[in-house]
Amino acid sequence: MSNASTSAAPQAPTMVFERTYRARIEELWELWTSKEGFESWWGPEGFRAEVRALEARVGGTLHYAMIADAPEQIEAMKRMGHPTSHEVRARFTELTPPHRLAITSVIDFLPQVQPYEWTIVVDFFPAGESVRMVITAAAMHDEAFTRITIVGFTSQLTKLDKRFGGQKG
Amino acid sequence: MHMDVLQALADPTRRRIVDALRNGETEVGRLIDRAGVHQSGVSRHLRILHEAGFVSVRPDGQRRLYSLRPEPFRELDTWLAAYRSLWEARLDRFGAALQKRRQSRPTQKRGRRR
Repeated sequence: MSNASTSAAPQAPTMVFERTYRARIEELWELWTSKEGFESWWGPEGFRAEVRALEARVGGTLHYAMIADAPEQIEAMKRMGHPTSHEVRARFTELTPPHRLAITSVIDFLPQVQPYEWTIVVDFFPAGESVRMVITAAAMHDEAFTRITIVGFTSQLTKLDKRFGGQKG
Repeated sequence: MHMDVLQALADPTRRRIVDALRNGETEVGRLIDRAGVHQSGVSRHLRILHEAGFVSVRPDGQRRLYSLRPEPFRELDTWLAAYRSLWEARLDRFGAALQKRRQSRPTQKRGRRR
């Protein structure tokens, strides 16, 4: 079950996502805090994450590359003149194993958007043989959203092109 | 998603004005009372909300009546829905990765960590 709610966050609505998994809390924790764990699931459809550095401590680095790996995604990025991968620099701003962590990313790769920091907080609540995972994230761009932003910009530009009789690239 | 839609709502006073307008068309005086906005700031906030497409205004004799427009809310909703579905997909992958790890390490003892 997931739900989203709007909060009094200064910049954007905050969204809350919630899932329950039948697993041990340490297993969930590892998917967030180990290189191979993180790489096994992070990233939007059509992209994969390649971790360059992951230091699971407060203030520790989380540096990874988001790489388009589905053929249609690679094709789309190339068509738009965008690189098929980009580096994301983040750090663990909170780490209380295995109950709570926060990751703050520097979003500095979006065209026409001033760099800003974007934080997600993840809480793990064990309940019997399951663990409830709650993610709180400001509904701003993250690297997953880059794709939508880029596609958004591109479709806008395409519309403009058509309007002014330009040719589609 | 237009950033000015988010920026318009980023201000707590403007969110209070939007809340106050949810009851329907309202004149400035009542808006000041309902939203607890200081009179000196209300025109500026209404202008920003108007420019971002959140409110429309119509004259009624001496009064100016403000009301909400649905378009930016629809835009927000669409944007949030897209965001939500990205996270849903991501959490599906999280669950799948978790299951895969459990299957590949079935003998792992409770509490043991690598």
